[in-house]
Amino acid sequence: MANCIVEVQDLVKRYGENIAVDNISFSVSEGDFFGFLGPNGAGKTTTMRILATLLRKTSGSVRIDGFDVDRQANEVRRAIGFAMQDTSLDNLASGYENLQLLGVLYGLSPREARNRAKELIELVGLSKVGGHWVNSYSGGMRRRLDLAGTLMHHPKLLFLDEPTQGLDPQARRMIWDYLRRLNLEGSTVFLTTHYMDEADTLCRDLAFIDRGKIVRQGTPEQLKSEMGGDVISLTFGQNVEMQNVEGKLRTTIGDLGSMTVNDHLIRITSPHAKELVPHLIQDLNAIQSAPLSLSISQASLEDVFVKLVGRSILDDEAQLIKGRDPFVEGRR
Amino acid sequence: MRLFYEIGYLFVRGLKQSMRPTAAIIPSLFMPAFFFIINSAAFAGLTLLPGFGSRSYLVFYAPVAILMAIFFSSGDAGIDMVVDITSGYFDKLMIAPIHHIAIVIGKLLAVGLRASVQTSIVIAIVLLSGGTLVTGFAGFLVILALGCLFGMAWSAIGMSIALLTRNQRATQSSFILFFPFTFITTSQLPLHLLHGWYRVAVQLNPATYILEALRALTNSGWKWDVIGHGFLVALATGIVTISCVMFSFRRTYP
Repeated sequence: MANCIVEVQDLVKRYGENIAVDNISFSVSEGDFFGFLGPNGAGKTTTMRILATLLRKTSGSVRIDGFDVDRQANEVRRAIGFAMQDTSLDNLASGYENLQLLGVLYGLSPREARNRAKELIELVGLSKVGGHWVNSYSGGMRRRLDLAGTLMHHPKLLFLDEPTQGLDPQARRMIWDYLRRLNLEGSTVFLTTHYMDEADTLCRDLAFIDRGKIVRQGTPEQLKSEMGGDVISLTFGQNVEMQNVEGKLRTTIGDLGSMTVNDHLIRITSPHAKELVPHLIQDLNAIQSAPLSLSISQASLEDVFVKLVGRSILDDEAQLIKGRDPFVEGRR
Repeated sequence: MRLFYEIGYLFVRGLKQSMRPTAAIIPSLFMPAFFFIINSAAFAGLTLLPGFGSRSYLVFYAPVAILMAIFFSSGDAGIDMVVDITSGYFDKLMIAPIHHIAIVIGKLLAVGLRASVQTSIVIAIVLLSGGTLVTGFAGFLVILALGCLFGMAWSAIGMSIALLTRNQRATQSSFILFFPFTFITTSQLPLHLLHGWYRVAVQLNPATYILEALRALTNSGWKWDVIGHGFLVALATGIVTISCVMFSFRRTYP
């Protein structure tokens, strides 16, 4: 069995009365591609910042590569690379200058730093613009440079906080390919994301976090198989009375599946999904509430999350956009 | 030994950060030159006041331009720092396995050098406009040293606000401190012509002692007591303000 490179035991982080991380424990094996999933405000970034020595924990124990994050912070820092949620670069310096400074601060000689910067700039496809100031880079180029910066000192463990947030699909795919390659070359990757497809594509192990607590851990396959069947998704128009629809569908499904309702979207998970569909349509027609769309798909990690916490990550996103913090709302 | 390397790299980075883009330096050179040219002409008649003691107001006012150069060159340090903090770059430095003190010292030294460079440019403008430097090249070097020291001390105020507030607007607002510290001094008139509360305020203002030291070096000669007071006040101000930076640093990044 591989050694644990991340060991977290009973970790708690409080901000006054507010508990951001609530007594969580988990571990990550060396060489793993680990995903830490949850909606915004769930405690992902707080946990990662504690693991990366940027934030002090309230209580609990955290060891990275065998070193205690509080007492052996510099040893931990040498072992890790950290790409933050927003790219953190010196905008008034070139790509090369950004990397070279990081290299020397991590203990490389100026010559080593220069060579390593050149190698990484080529690797991330920025050779043509490596000498330009970073403020002229696009979002995708900045993200690639930021990732290159985390690799200057050959870290054993990479922390990536929402590495593809705000990127277009092409840039996302490029980052994914690059991360897979790093992992294959031996780096352990610890990724936080609220994109379930990203976690499903990249991660070998996952932990779901919600409101500061870990609600489930496992491999993507394990978690999806626990759903116990395929998922029927039904979307209804705004004029449909959802209480009637919900009541009717619960009667139709009986004990053949489970159902979650999010606004005008209903998800039904059942091992007999295909057989259920004609009955559902028939009963909905009977109450004159035909859905706008209906689809059957294999269970996704998003479905797992909905089943575990009773709401979608997208619901939390929407609440945040409206200016309400679902975490605080939930505590009221 | 490793600490000195780290300071050196962060000093070079801080210097580049404060000098880029080059066009951004122009206002900090323009303002001292502007005040110097306008005020030395506008208040030229003040030399007719009994007991004023100087025949040329331009010569009397020239050290104010040098003091302003120090203020303007070091005033951006807080902005540079808050930009690093809000962009996450400061966090990137914080998780590097370095002595955290090197981040602050590297920045302070960069500010000091920039203050010296800008001071020397303003001295050139002053001399080209008819100002004097009676202590010659040695005096020039002493002015640069004083500019460097007081520049570091002054920049620490903005850096402390940046660390405590982590807010660009709050840090930028520290600019207003420039006005009382520059103008509640002997910038317009010599001390013996000032009266009442204003005279007391001028004597309490540390910038007055820096200005008088600069005035001695440019106009009067090697007045060691005045120059010594200038350096002592710059040092004392630095001890207080840099301690504030260290305190703010520890408070924000425990």
